Amino acid sequence: MSRWASFENELRFLLRDRAFVIWIWVVLGFSSFAVWTGLAEVRQQRESIAFLLEADQKDRTSELSKQGDWGSAAYYAFHLTYDPPSDFAFAAMGQRDAASWKHRLRMLALEGQIYEHDPGNPELALIGRFDFAFVVAFVLPLVLAFLLHDLQASERSAGRFNLLIASTGRGRSLWRRRAVLRSGGVLIATIVPLLIAGGVSGTRVATLASATALVVAYVVFWTFICLWFARSKRSAPVILASLIGVWVLLSTVLPAGGRAITDRLVPIPTGAEILMTQREAVNDAWDLPVEDTMAPFVQRHPEWTGYVYSGDGFDWGWYYAFQQVGDQTVEELSSAYTAGRTERDRLAGWISIIAPPALLERLLQQLAGTDMQSVLAYEAQVRAFHAELRTFHYPGLFGGEPFDPAMLSALPQYLPTK
Amino acid sequence: MSAALRVAKDEWRYWLRSKLALAVVGLFVLILLAVSLLNAVRMHEESHQRAHHQTDSEQTFLSQPDRHPHRMVHYGHYVFRAPMPLALFDPGLDSVTGQTMFLEGHRQNSATFSATSGSADLGGLSWLTPAMIFQIFAPLLIIVLGHSAVVREREARTLATLLAQGVSGRALLVGKLLALLLFVALLLLPLIVSAAFSLGRGESLSTASFMVGVYFVYLAVWVGLTLLASALLQQRSSVIASLAAAWLVLTLVLPAVAVNVSSQIAPLAGKIETELTMLTEVRDVGDGHDVDDSVYNNVEASLLEEYGVDRIEDLEINIRGVLAQNAEADLTDTLNVYAERRMNAEAHQAALLGWHGWLTPTLAVADASRALAGTDLAHYHRFLRQAEDLRIGFVQSLNRVHAEELSYIDDINRNRDEESWERARVAATNWQLDEFQFQPASTSTRIANAGSSVSMLLTWLAALIALLLWNGGRLKP
Repeated sequence: MSRWASFENELRFLLRDRAFVIWIWVVLGFSSFAVWTGLAEVRQQRESIAFLLEADQKDRTSELSKQGDWGSAAYYAFHLTYDPPSDFAFAAMGQRDAASWKHRLRMLALEGQIYEHDPGNPELALIGRFDFAFVVAFVLPLVLAFLLHDLQASERSAGRFNLLIASTGRGRSLWRRRAVLRSGGVLIATIVPLLIAGGVSGTRVATLASATALVVAYVVFWTFICLWFARSKRSAPVILASLIGVWVLLSTVLPAGGRAITDRLVPIPTGAEILMTQREAVNDAWDLPVEDTMAPFVQRHPEWTGYVYSGDGFDWGWYYAFQQVGDQTVEELSSAYTAGRTERDRLAGWISIIAPPALLERLLQQLAGTDMQSVLAYEAQVRAFHAELRTFHYPGLFGGEPFDPAMLSALPQYLPTK
Repeated sequence: MSAALRVAKDEWRYWLRSKLALAVVGLFVLILLAVSLLNAVRMHEESHQRAHHQTDSEQTFLSQPDRHPHRMVHYGHYVFRAPMPLALFDPGLDSVTGQTMFLEGHRQNSATFSATSGSADLGGLSWLTPAMIFQIFAPLLIIVLGHSAVVREREARTLATLLAQGVSGRALLVGKLLALLLFVALLLLPLIVSAAFSLGRGESLSTASFMVGVYFVYLAVWVGLTLLASALLQQRSSVIASLAAAWLVLTLVLPAVAVNVSSQIAPLAGKIETELTMLTEVRDVGDGHDVDDSVYNNVEASLLEEYGVDRIEDLEINIRGVLAQNAEADLTDTLNVYAERRMNAEAHQAALLGWHGWLTPTLAVADASRALAGTDLAHYHRFLRQAEDLRIGFVQSLNRVHAEELSYIDDINRNRDEESWERARVAATNWQLDEFQFQPASTSTRIANAGSSVSMLLTWLAALIALLLWNGGRLKP
């Protein structure tokens, strides 16, 4: 029998295998549901951003129209910053459910604002979404285990094993053929909905190709594991139980251990430390001599050395100077917080090598721009934008440039880089 | 009955001889102990740290020097939520919700710094908690141990013998059921220890026992499913394959699917979105900093009339403090309308999610468990509300001090020179603050909150037992 003909033969057998056909439909259903609801979620997020942009613009214009000096203009104008979902976010929502991807800031101390949280429902965040990454990383290996664990054991218990080996000559190629067909079926049922959704969402071809390659590699990996266990002469239930054990180990135990170890190895400052230190600095400034605030400010901004405090009581320049000095006070803590998260993420990346489900999820999130790196990149963008706001206002606040409402049309605009 | 007991005893003897069963149980216990220990250490540290931050923050507030009372309104205060005693077992939403909140005048800030936001990301299942182990992995244990209960006898042809010897099908199933339930009871020992431990930390006996009971019912549901599959199907391999598939769908797939469904059916507007919608309304309330705001002209008029004077300078109280009180009260009313609306929307979405407990007992037990532990959405909202009560309390007491302790003249002249700046202050003895201690809902409320989930679990159990008894009556070799 030619190679192709035996494939065809096997395929005919397989299509008559009810369990296989049902699982293929189920996987197709899972994958379609995951990408379809993913697309809907992305659409919702885009609509929400569109609404926010418009409302934000309106609110700012209305507030600014009432202001007569630089200080109040900066105080009353809020600015929306956001991280739009990428064209592949529908497949892996990742950190978008846990971390903030939108803020409304003003020119006050940034550290008091950047950690503000605009979360969804915590109840939903706790359980986690049924997105494509979840389906592939956690559900697919189990489906493969169901389909492949009894490849040999079922023939053994049916008493056909020796007959099959004898009639096909080489047993190994038979099992391989069967495994390739079954895994191939699962793979196609998983990937096709993704590709269609990618087409709908206008995902870049390179992204889709990388995602497909990742899923193929992942399915091949689990197929090998399943085949290795399936070779055992033990009974099908024992093989299946062992495969589920491997799954539990790789998808839960190792990642949980890895997380515990990483979090312990790399301590980060508690949020409370950052917030309280920053608030203390800003609040104490009211009672401190003006020079105590202006000295560290001017040290950072030598160009405003010429600024003269206008008198007793209140002065906008001084006010914004101590906002910035508040930020400066916690700079160390705040960068330790960012560096700690970066380091934790780096370590987690290494650890995930021994936990393929976590690795796959991380890689898909990386492709989707929903991983920790993207969160940190967004935070960096927010910081850069806040710095731009300061650069824009400081000549008016510290350089004595007269207030001209027309100049406000040149206010920095937040533009996401993605 | 004695027949059933004999069957149960035999089943246990069979397990004790099975290396696989012993290995799996051993592994489970090991993982459970490790996770419980890690969780306990983390809880202990966090609870210690938050209590420390809370006292620290209270002391700093109270030790502030003499100053203008409105400065203290902006100085603000922090609250921290200490973990609940049973969070030791089920931290629930604690890891995804912020536990720190900054309270100040004119604003309701969000709870910030959740544990997840800073932690390493190692996939959706890496937040192992003891509760999750019981919800997701204990069923696997029951399947591994129990799947062969009936089908084994059938495959070995001993089932026919047993039935012929006069052991009724029902007695057989009841015996296997008893054996598995005893196993479940043993499995719950670590939970019982956690629950006992939580008693020492102030948890009530009824909540703790309810917690154990809820998990017993949940695992009994899995025992029922396992036995039913074992009794209905002909081959051991198909029993375990279908049970494993059911496990995948019920514990992993459906809860996550329910999340997608709920967020699509009842989408939530984010906090910023709500805020922007609200801003227009807040603007109509007026700005409490500004005495000339037209909204307050009538306040001025009524005060002048009440004190029988012609000029605000002659009032016995400082009108700026009165206005600040009014403005804060009005603003808070508006803020609360939106905060309540948002919390209701969240609760509605969560209820929709909870409804899926009819489809999967895993969601039902998770809901019930969080409700009992006090780590559910309702308790998170309680935290937000209690923090808000504290906020409005200290802000208004400061505004009262502003009205009663600081003269209007000193107040408006505060920016004139250094000396006026010094004069526009009140004594630090006026800084008062209620100690913040999160008050969980009463035992009866928590049990009531778990009610609908518990009734789902009981329905599942009743239906399965009815099916088992029905099947036992017609059990065939």
